[in-house]
Amino acid sequence: MSNMTPKMRVKDFFDREKVDQMPCFSGMGTITVQAIEKMKARFAKIHTSAELMAGAAITTAEMFGFDGVVVPYDMCTVPEALGRGASFYEDAEGILYPTVPSKWANLDEVDLPESFDTLFENGRMPVVDDAIGIVKKYNDGELAVGSWVLGPFTMAGQMIELDVLLKGLRKDKERVEAFLSKMTDLIIAVARHYQGLGVDYMNIREMGSGADIISPRMWKTLIKPNLEKVFASLDSPKILHICGSTDLIIEMMNDCGADAVSVDQKNNVVESRKKLGEDAMILGNFDPYGTLVEMDAADVVAVIKQCIDDGVDAVWPGCDIWPDVKKENMEAYTQTVREYGR
Amino acid sequence: MGKEELRKELLKQLHEGVVEFEEDTVKEAAQRVLDEGLNAYDAVMNGLASGMVEVGELYDQHEYFVPELLMCADALYAGLDILKPYIRLEDLGDKPKGQVVIGTVQGDVHDIGKNIIKMMFEVAGFTVHDLGRDVPLENFVEEQLKTDSEIVALSAMMTTTMMGMEKVIKMIKEKNPNVAIMLGGAPVTSDTADLFGADGYAESAGNAVQEAIKMIGRLREMQKK
Repeated sequence: MSNMTPKMRVKDFFDREKVDQMPCFSGMGTITVQAIEKMKARFAKIHTSAELMAGAAITTAEMFGFDGVVVPYDMCTVPEALGRGASFYEDAEGILYPTVPSKWANLDEVDLPESFDTLFENGRMPVVDDAIGIVKKYNDGELAVGSWVLGPFTMAGQMIELDVLLKGLRKDKERVEAFLSKMTDLIIAVARHYQGLGVDYMNIREMGSGADIISPRMWKTLIKPNLEKVFASLDSPKILHICGSTDLIIEMMNDCGADAVSVDQKNNVVESRKKLGEDAMILGNFDPYGTLVEMDAADVVAVIKQCIDDGVDAVWPGCDIWPDVKKENMEAYTQTVREYGR
Repeated sequence: MGKEELRKELLKQLHEGVVEFEEDTVKEAAQRVLDEGLNAYDAVMNGLASGMVEVGELYDQHEYFVPELLMCADALYAGLDILKPYIRLEDLGDKPKGQVVIGTVQGDVHDIGKNIIKMMFEVAGFTVHDLGRDVPLENFVEEQLKTDSEIVALSAMMTTTMMGMEKVIKMIKEKNPNVAIMLGGAPVTSDTADLFGADGYAESAGNAVQEAIKMIGRLREMQKK
């Protein structure tokens, strides 16, 4: 067991086998400026090149000792492939993630193809495919490779104006439901495609559906059925991640068919553990910006220990790691997972 | 029906129209306020804005969520569009309220919180210069200089775009140290606002709504004095 490779460690963790130490990984972007600088690259460029995309993930994993790598990093790859475009901010100073510049203004404008078969030839989808291929091959496949796709509701909010979508949940329910159903088919197509490429775990990020945005009742009727359909269509390991307020919906999250639920720092994991029981797999739940960017390194240890003491099965950041981390904070985070998570 | 009785009835309709997100009810009541020669500012503050204060309470109590808030805001705007042209200068305290430049910083396409804060400023009688979302940082500086606005309100929904705020604050304060800067958005804390040199902040999209509504509430209290 002491000779476990990072990939074996993650695989056995999800298989609920005994592991030599808690795996240190995430289901969301885990790249740092230190890695990007080491590659002599720029953040704005790593989204459009398979080599740079894969390189940023691998270099970060090597620098800080992660068991897994995750690609892609931005939320625009799928909307871009469906004609919504992507802004990369190549001339802007500092780090800005790509955004979708031209969402549909209303439901009448929605123009989706009958089938998503050709989706993977469009935009940067081939870049992501190639990046997955590169990270899978790295060091004889030593690292676990994760990928993610937004959940149906959050993806819908990337394709159409969010206020139209949110108001439509009440005012135009039938058409919004039909749109979400189509988004569900899209998510299944993308997630299955990445599973077909051999990723080791798949994270569905329904991050815009927390109980600080929509009511638990609405979550039950409009979000849950689509997530159930997504998870019924995917192989294991599969994870459902939602950030923001999740205490009121954690039980429904756990009933969607995922192998694990991932939550952020707003979740009361002690209570969630009581609600879900010992068999549930909970991932989380530290604030990546507060902990890795703002905090003193000496205080990071306590944050990570608290996550473990509260009852997470593996420590996951509550969101993408913001790349401009302090190196010593990253080291404190990964080292504490290794030592305290034994 | 006497004039005071009619006033109370119309204020109630405006209030309840906002709470129940009934745009048509609000429009009809707002038009009647004008037709009956009642005070438009009174109708905005004690009808529409007071309705929005109740909406904030319903949000706090987890009765309402963001979809409901957005629909209530639409109802408020439906009334405000009708009433605003008829607000008299003296109702605002003998001089126009200030001007505010508002927008979501570059890299951020979330504008729900920003739009609700904008509504708060409009209710309070400010002239709002809305730059929209994903706004290049230098545009805030240019617009402030062009309009000589007293307030610049910046919104960022994501941690990843929040850092842009610090640059804008520095650029604006260099050119005009008297401008008040307000920050808002999910990742912004009072510590961040202090660190960046801002003059005020609203905590999150949800909290922005609550903060905006609290500010409307305070304005109504001030008006009563």
